[in-house]
Amino acid sequence: MEKDIRILLVDDERNVRRSMEKTLLRAGFDVDVAEDISAGLGLFKEVYTQEPEERFDIAVLDLSMPNFEGVQDPEAGLKLLSKLLEIDNSLPTIVLTAYDDVTRAKKAVSLGARAYFVKGREAGLIELVNDILGL
Amino acid sequence: MEKTSLAERRAALLQAGAQVSRNVISILDPDELLQKTVDIICEEFGFYYAGVFLLDEEKEWAVLQSGRGDAGAAMVAEGHKLHVGGLSMIGAATGRNQALIALDVGDEPVHFKNPHLPLTRSEMALPLSVGSEVIGALTVQSIEEAAFSDDDITALQAMADQLAIAINNARLYSMNRILLSQTTRRARLLEASTQVAKGITSILDLDELLHETVDVICEAYGFYYAGVFLLDETNEWAVLRAGYGEAGSHMVELGHQLRIGGLSMIGTAIAERHARIALDVGDEPVHFKNPHLPLTRSEMALPLVVGNKVIGAVTVQSVEESAFSDEDISSLQAMADQLAIALDNARLLRELEAAHSELVRTKTFEALATSTIEAIHWIGNKALPMTASVDRLCSDLEDLQGVDEEIKASMREDLAMVRDNAQLIVAVQEHLIGPARDNKPLPAMIDDVVKDLLVKMEIPSDIITYEPEASLPLAVADTTQLSRSLGYILQNALDATEGQKDRQIKVVVEPRESKGLLYVAINITNNGPSIPESELDKIWAAFYTTKGAKHAGLGLSATLQIMKQLDGQVAVKNLSDGGVEFEVLVPVIDSKYVEATLPVGQSVLLIDDDDSWSRFVSATLIEAGNKVDCSLDTKNYAKYDWVFVDDALESGDTMKVLSALSKAQVSDKVYVCASNMRVERVMDLMHYGIKDVLLKPYTVEALAKIFSD
Repeated sequence: MEKDIRILLVDDERNVRRSMEKTLLRAGFDVDVAEDISAGLGLFKEVYTQEPEERFDIAVLDLSMPNFEGVQDPEAGLKLLSKLLEIDNSLPTIVLTAYDDVTRAKKAVSLGARAYFVKGREAGLIELVNDILGL
Repeated sequence: MEKTSLAERRAALLQAGAQVSRNVISILDPDELLQKTVDIICEEFGFYYAGVFLLDEEKEWAVLQSGRGDAGAAMVAEGHKLHVGGLSMIGAATGRNQALIALDVGDEPVHFKNPHLPLTRSEMALPLSVGSEVIGALTVQSIEEAAFSDDDITALQAMADQLAIAINNARLYSMNRILLSQTTRRARLLEASTQVAKGITSILDLDELLHETVDVICEAYGFYYAGVFLLDETNEWAVLRAGYGEAGSHMVELGHQLRIGGLSMIGTAIAERHARIALDVGDEPVHFKNPHLPLTRSEMALPLVVGNKVIGAVTVQSVEESAFSDEDISSLQAMADQLAIALDNARLLRELEAAHSELVRTKTFEALATSTIEAIHWIGNKALPMTASVDRLCSDLEDLQGVDEEIKASMREDLAMVRDNAQLIVAVQEHLIGPARDNKPLPAMIDDVVKDLLVKMEIPSDIITYEPEASLPLAVADTTQLSRSLGYILQNALDATEGQKDRQIKVVVEPRESKGLLYVAINITNNGPSIPESELDKIWAAFYTTKGAKHAGLGLSATLQIMKQLDGQVAVKNLSDGGVEFEVLVPVIDSKYVEATLPVGQSVLLIDDDDSWSRFVSATLIEAGNKVDCSLDTKNYAKYDWVFVDDALESGDTMKVLSALSKAQVSDKVYVCASNMRVERVMDLMHYGIKDVLLKPYTVEALAKIFSD
């Protein structure tokens, strides 16, 4: 039986997180959620080391969140992105933001993100995940 | 005549002389003194006539100043005068400084036969001398022949000497009074000038300063009227800002103004930067006959000059002809000079206050903007999941079984309303946050930026007319932000003309000079309905809209904010023949050419329309020694080292071009160049695996940087 696509979703906005989770679940993906970057990194490490067969296929990270020190940081998602890619440099990632900010988008791509997605159009997110994973 | 009677007569004469002296010595008014003298001589001595002559300034004529009785008065009125040294008794006495007696005037050769004094038979002329200086002469006449003796001369000469001293004293007294009056006036003017100087250095309120000045000028100098004119913004008119009394207040209320260089004294004084004085306004050709000031007979117009600049003029008017002395003119001009400095100080203070207010406003605005952006961001983020939730609910609703169709329809309607409002909140978030993002102003070809925008907005060609001038200077702008603001204006034009049969939107781009600065002007006109004049200012306010609840009313507010950040301008006006025109001014770049190193020997494909940007890139690279093909339908992509694609193709589809490039497996050397960078667009473009999406280079330096990076 083919393995389900497993997605790590990290966003500190509860309703946004839950809404995206529901959208992705409805699209047939397995979704693990974390409410901040520390929890997200911990979850990723745990799965990566303890469930090698069930590793995440893709990570969807909010950009503006509290950083590892708990301080609100407009680039916290990029810090988490770097940590995840240090562990698994082939991990496809999508960075989410509410801003139309080309500079940050291109910075995310230069750090290894596969895409930068402006929140609010969740149907587009499913299409993007499918594109990146070649589904 | 007997000795006793002679002695008595001499004593009587001496007594009368003493009496005259006593009476006249204390009289300080010259006219009264002389009249009193002739009256006393005739009354005390019993003579027929007495008169006093004084020499004129040139000492050429002895002029009758006072004469006894009607005859004397008539001669004074006629200006009776006798030549000094002439044939008359008075002429001879003054010419020689010697008393003369004519005992029978009929026999006396020097006697002038005077028709006013037909009865005279004896005459005595006594010189009036102070020291060796003759100041006049006294004539005493009798109806008796041989009425005077040498003793009489002695006695009367003593009296004449006293009289001369008294006249001299009266003259000195009169002169002193004039000097005292002048000194007092000078002191008063000095005090007034000091008062104005003190006042104007301490008064910083312009209106108070001007009114205080006109009041002081009129009250201290005793002039009929004073007014202060200041130049208007056009420098074509001098506008009355303060005037003395009711006439002044009335003229200020009426907006009294005079043209610079016109026929008025004020207009001429300002134009020529010189004081003008009309001592009898009836004779002064440049005087403006003012019905509010009918009594003016003299007028002075003093320019208010600060450095090389004339800022206005002061008018001072008098009811007297020739009213202004040299001292008045110099002290009033000094006062005008101080007033000009004070006015300039008041202007500087106003500018300082305005700058301070602007700073406070800016800081307040910044604080408000920061908190507003935080709030809007927060609200927007809360609204983000709502549309997805609604979509899910809509989907679920359609799957629900056994629900009344009417209830379903109502739920669909409610969900649609929630979706609309959620989308509006997200749109508001972008409208408010977008303009507040960092600006990165760079040199830009405005005609290309506008062309790209028109292509992206896909405005039908039968609606839009685009007329860029062929040779435009480079402007400086964040082209993404500029595109955003122009997009709002164009959308406004589309909305305004929606439903019209003959919709027309015209965009003209041309150089423009405004207040000494160079701009590239973008004029966007539409033939939609005019904006009510009362609404013209309101359209720039946030959340102001006439288009209904689905519009946030933030587009033009954002446009204004963006143009301020770009140091540009935006304005709107109704056109006289209908329609509306928006004008956007973008500042022209003010920097020197920067040397840049371009590649050599490279093969470059430029996929673009034939426009100003593609011509610039081609010409620059070819001149540097590269091969450039500019085409939309090239197939053999592999031969090129670099491929540049314009993000806004009028004659093609960028996505199809990128797809073809991707199929040809040359995406890794493809750069998409855009004047308007939106993240979603960039991500869409990046899907094709291209090298990068870049802001369009509009200078050689920016173009070279792409190759060096």
